[in-house]
Amino acid sequence: MKELRIIWRTLQEALSSIKASGITNFTVVSILGVALALFGGVLQLNSSIKQISQNLDSQLEFSVYLLDSAEPKDIASQISKLKMVDKVEIISKNVAWERFSKRFDFDDIAGNPLPNTLHVNIRRPQDLDVVVNEVKKLSGIEQISYAPELFNGLERVRSILFSFGILITFILAAGTITIVANTIQLVIKSKSLEIEILRLVGVDDWFIRGPFIFHGIFYGVLSAIFAILFLVIFQKFVWNTFQSSFHTFMPVTFNFDSGMELGIIFMIMVLTGILVCGLSSYATTEKYIKI
Amino acid sequence: MIKLKNVTKKYGSISALDNVNLEIGAGEIALIVGASGAGKSTLMKLLYREEKPDEGQIVIGNIDVSSLSHTKVPYLRRRMGIIFQDFKLLPHKSAFENVAYALRGLGAEEYEIQKRVSGALKLVGLLDRAFNLPSELSGGEQQRVGIARAIVQGPPLVIADEPTGNLDPQTSFEIFKLLEKIAERGTTILISTHNQQIVQQFGKRVITLDKGEVVADSGSVNVPGFSYN
Repeated sequence: MKELRIIWRTLQEALSSIKASGITNFTVVSILGVALALFGGVLQLNSSIKQISQNLDSQLEFSVYLLDSAEPKDIASQISKLKMVDKVEIISKNVAWERFSKRFDFDDIAGNPLPNTLHVNIRRPQDLDVVVNEVKKLSGIEQISYAPELFNGLERVRSILFSFGILITFILAAGTITIVANTIQLVIKSKSLEIEILRLVGVDDWFIRGPFIFHGIFYGVLSAIFAILFLVIFQKFVWNTFQSSFHTFMPVTFNFDSGMELGIIFMIMVLTGILVCGLSSYATTEKYIKI
Repeated sequence: MIKLKNVTKKYGSISALDNVNLEIGAGEIALIVGASGAGKSTLMKLLYREEKPDEGQIVIGNIDVSSLSHTKVPYLRRRMGIIFQDFKLLPHKSAFENVAYALRGLGAEEYEIQKRVSGALKLVGLLDRAFNLPSELSGGEQQRVGIARAIVQGPPLVIADEPTGNLDPQTSFEIFKLLEKIAERGTTILISTHNQQIVQQFGKRVITLDKGEVVADSGSVNVPGFSYN
């Protein structure tokens, strides 16, 4: 009971030191929030690309982009004749442009830059390479987008994005640690009389340091919440809209909402925030509070 | 009971205390006097373990202060009250809250805080000023709040480091009388001062320090019936 009372009073003291920090709170939470959002985004992107890569093996569809000079119906007919092919869908450049311009409200000023596209469905995933090789032999083909090519491309993108993202995250985290440490140091200085009184009347070490550590943890939790909200909003309203707009031209879709995995990533973000800020505050109290 | 045996404390090459031997009985009031730099404050700081002696042994009750581990220091300090020359009151808290502040940190229950703080403020004659801020109190009243904070836990020992250094002679005498009243309840009180007039009027045991050495001691006054545990 006594311990609970001390914890409650430690939290009250933490609240008072948060209030005393004023506008600095906003600065710390903003910078840490950006760092955590970036960190979470990198983790999600990495996880999504990995998931896509795993699913590519069973991909039954590929896209064929045609030269403007080629006749889509002729090529579609030739592809349909292959035994392993189930279905060929023609997306004419006019239809593609119509969908695109309708979604984005474009005027047809610059002309239609999109190619005629065939979406080819095969019966069995293991026939993919054979069918792609056959299609490649046909004239009028500009480019074929299919899983193995995409797989390699995605892996390269994933690797670059992951390394770059982690590097930026570390730089931001280092900046955040410095800012948190400086903020806590200022609060400690402004409360030096309270600290002196408490230690001279024999209050336990952790009651004196506790409010400052909770102060840091508060930054971590609040920043993580903001970062998570930002990611959710970004995915729901920006990414998903973008993806549905370009779905016609994309052979695969990125789905960030991977359920359980998403929860784990959010948990990692919160724990990282708590750990970074908590440790930074603890180190500052160790340095500046003499018990 | 306080016992110092061959205690030496140096700051660099300067001896703040040099081979000091001293015994103060339970329930006794002792005045530590001496000029500035005589070692009074160092002696006080050694007692509440703000400093550690370079040599010798300090025992308070059954606690060996000189060899006390860092983690046990709060335990020692809970058993003593400290009064400062500059009062060390929190300016944005009322007299009541200043006295209650430490008790909250120690995990005391609210009803206990109410009871103890009111009792301490009553003893120092400030119950009617309990909700005034320090800025609304005179210097003497502020020091009374400091005394109330020092005794609120009912410690067996009170250490007062120049408690009247910032006060006029009349108020200083009142503060000494208040400390005497507290000592009558069985508390050992150690006061450092350089106010010779008060020392002579007060008529208690006087220990004189000069350049870190005890040069005079008017002798212990045994107070029967008190023990320090």
